Amino acid sequence: MDNKMRDELLNLFRSKINRAMRYYLETCTRCGVCTEACHVYNSMGQTKYIAAYRHEIVRRLYKKYFKARGKIWPGFGEAKGLSDMTLEELFDAAYSCTGCRRCMVFCPFGIDTQMLMSIAKLMLIGANAEPEILTMLADTSIEKGKSLELFKESFLTGIKNLESEVVEKWKIEAGETAIPVDVEDADLLYVALAGAHSIIPAAVVFNAAREKWTLSFFEAVNFGAFVGDPTRTKLIMDRIIAEAKRLKVKEVCICECGTAYRVMKQLSGKQPFKVSSITEVQAGYIREGRIKLDKTKFTDTITYHDPCQIARNGGVIDEPRYILDNLTDNFRDLTPEPKYNWCCGGGGGLVALGDETLDFRMKSARVKVDQVKATEAKILATACENCHTQLSNLNDHYKMDVAVRFLSSMVADALLPQ
Amino acid sequence: MQTVYYIVLVPMVYVAFAVFFLGTAIRIVKILREPKNPSTLQIFPEKQPNWLYALSDTFFFPTVRRHKPVLWVFLMTFHVALLFLIIGHVELFQEFKIFQIIPHEVFLGKGFVGLILAITLLFFLFRRFKSPTKELSVPEDYFLLILLFLIVIFGSQMDWARRWYEYGELTVEDYQVYLNSLLYLKPELPYNVTFTGHSFMLVLHVFFANLFLMFFPFSQLMHSFLALPMNKLRRG
Amino acid sequence: MSEDIKVDKVLDLKGLPCPMPVVKVSKGIKDVEVGQVIEAHSTDPGSLTDFPAWARTSGNEILKTEQDGEVIKFYIKRNA
Repeated sequence: MDNKMRDELLNLFRSKINRAMRYYLETCTRCGVCTEACHVYNSMGQTKYIAAYRHEIVRRLYKKYFKARGKIWPGFGEAKGLSDMTLEELFDAAYSCTGCRRCMVFCPFGIDTQMLMSIAKLMLIGANAEPEILTMLADTSIEKGKSLELFKESFLTGIKNLESEVVEKWKIEAGETAIPVDVEDADLLYVALAGAHSIIPAAVVFNAAREKWTLSFFEAVNFGAFVGDPTRTKLIMDRIIAEAKRLKVKEVCICECGTAYRVMKQLSGKQPFKVSSITEVQAGYIREGRIKLDKTKFTDTITYHDPCQIARNGGVIDEPRYILDNLTDNFRDLTPEPKYNWCCGGGGGLVALGDETLDFRMKSARVKVDQVKATEAKILATACENCHTQLSNLNDHYKMDVAVRFLSSMVADALLPQ
Repeated sequence: MQTVYYIVLVPMVYVAFAVFFLGTAIRIVKILREPKNPSTLQIFPEKQPNWLYALSDTFFFPTVRRHKPVLWVFLMTFHVALLFLIIGHVELFQEFKIFQIIPHEVFLGKGFVGLILAITLLFFLFRRFKSPTKELSVPEDYFLLILLFLIVIFGSQMDWARRWYEYGELTVEDYQVYLNSLLYLKPELPYNVTFTGHSFMLVLHVFFANLFLMFFPFSQLMHSFLALPMNKLRRG
Repeated sequence: MSEDIKVDKVLDLKGLPCPMPVVKVSKGIKDVEVGQVIEAHSTDPGSLTDFPAWARTSGNEILKTEQDGEVIKFYIKRNA
């Protein structure tokens, strides 16, 4: 690595430092309480997957370049210079971490591993060593936002094709649109994923609840956040904010996608609209009596996997349980409780990397499988695209014999006519 | 030899305290001047009032109690003993009524505080020789523990000698004269402080303590000040 | 298959959820030479916007898009 490159990467490191990051970089006492926190460590047993070990990969660089100590006495804290080998270690640490923040619950100080790994991810981008697929996906998203007019037609065609399926499940009145798009002054802007499974059930429930809603042109998922690029993350988020402001909606509802929800909820700042997850919105409909559910629709035992970014990191914990209480008498929660829930093993962009990470994802999520099996449930519900894909892969790989379902689609299936 | 004693007991103490106070203050100011994180770093579900839970997280380490109960017992004992020890040292300057609510003879704890500290420090040290904590540890961690152990051992020796073996040459009054002279910037070394059989222990104790103070602002020991704001971030 | 376009490789992406079709296509296109054409079959409606946007950012060219029932067929020429 030449000096110019090193300086550039260290500038990127510097750009990530803020007050909280300083806390996290300065404080670790390496007490080892986080040892049992990581699902990867618990499933695979290698020391390099302990949270504090991951931290040190980043912290060594901090000690070397951002503290006088690293120059006077580098050996004291094992400060280490930045080299090509470090980049490999950074990659290993950052892309085996799903950003679930379970270790943050364990740490006596509350050090945020995901934050520290975001330094690693940004430096990898600077060195062109990040998983290029994630950057490609992020750029594709941004491109769609930039040249909306070019893609509008094909988008609307795609949506039209889905409308008949929506109407099939829930009759709408003459003159109404099954999937409204670009409706000004709608109450709610629904930001979905591009797939039909993310649009149809949601549309059915919105129509059943007689919501004044409109579908976003953009998909919710933020690949910029997966790859840890603040600029791209913001560009992808801003497309949706701009659309919400243009349509003057009161609420932006994010589909079942953990990262999308957390980014929009926590990073969008003060806006004229509120941000909710579809789980919160649907729970609200039930509470207000706008929809009613048939409890006989699902007879098997159901358990629920809390997506990390929505529950532990986003605070949506009671709402899915409220929905499930109205959906079944056979709900069995996972142990331990949501704050300590095991990550599915698919977060942080790992699922989007597809087959490339499949082997690792299967090995690193053994504890998740055990946790689900212990409930003996037959239906495994969840509310995140990533979790759903990963849990389905686990289901195949470990022959778990469960049906992995989106909670929102179960709500759509169990709707009672009013 | 007396020159070395003097250097350790007077100028080095001043330097150490200067480094400690200035270093810590500068570092904290530097950290606080960094911009805030743009988003919340909270973990859910939240419990109200969150500041109270942040305080409890900081001073009672509930997460350690849940996941490493044995370590928690040692950690708690260590930190409480450390508090006693700080009170004990304050009383070496002069008597404070507030500390005498439970009447005791200076130094607090009849010599057991130091003993307990030494044991807990050995526990912390030895657990770092065992996997996986071993792989996580860096030289700094061992160094600070050994340094603390040395401070405690030499410090306690003086206390134990007086309390358990009726050693009477170096008294609390001697320390008070010495420490107050430092405090009022008129350094004075009473004869007993430098010329008795236990003087070398005092010198070693002060020497290691000086080192410790000088390392403090630049090491993970800053957790003593940063633990609260960090836990507040987690609690929201 | 479209008559006027010579296809060098066919990618079956049917049934894959978003964003897998565009992930696979971006990898699959590396298997043909610059100037050659791949034909990709997707059932994910998101592909309708994903593919053109990806093509613009990656410098490749979508020659033609066809809807065949549920299946969307893309003819993509590798330019980069």
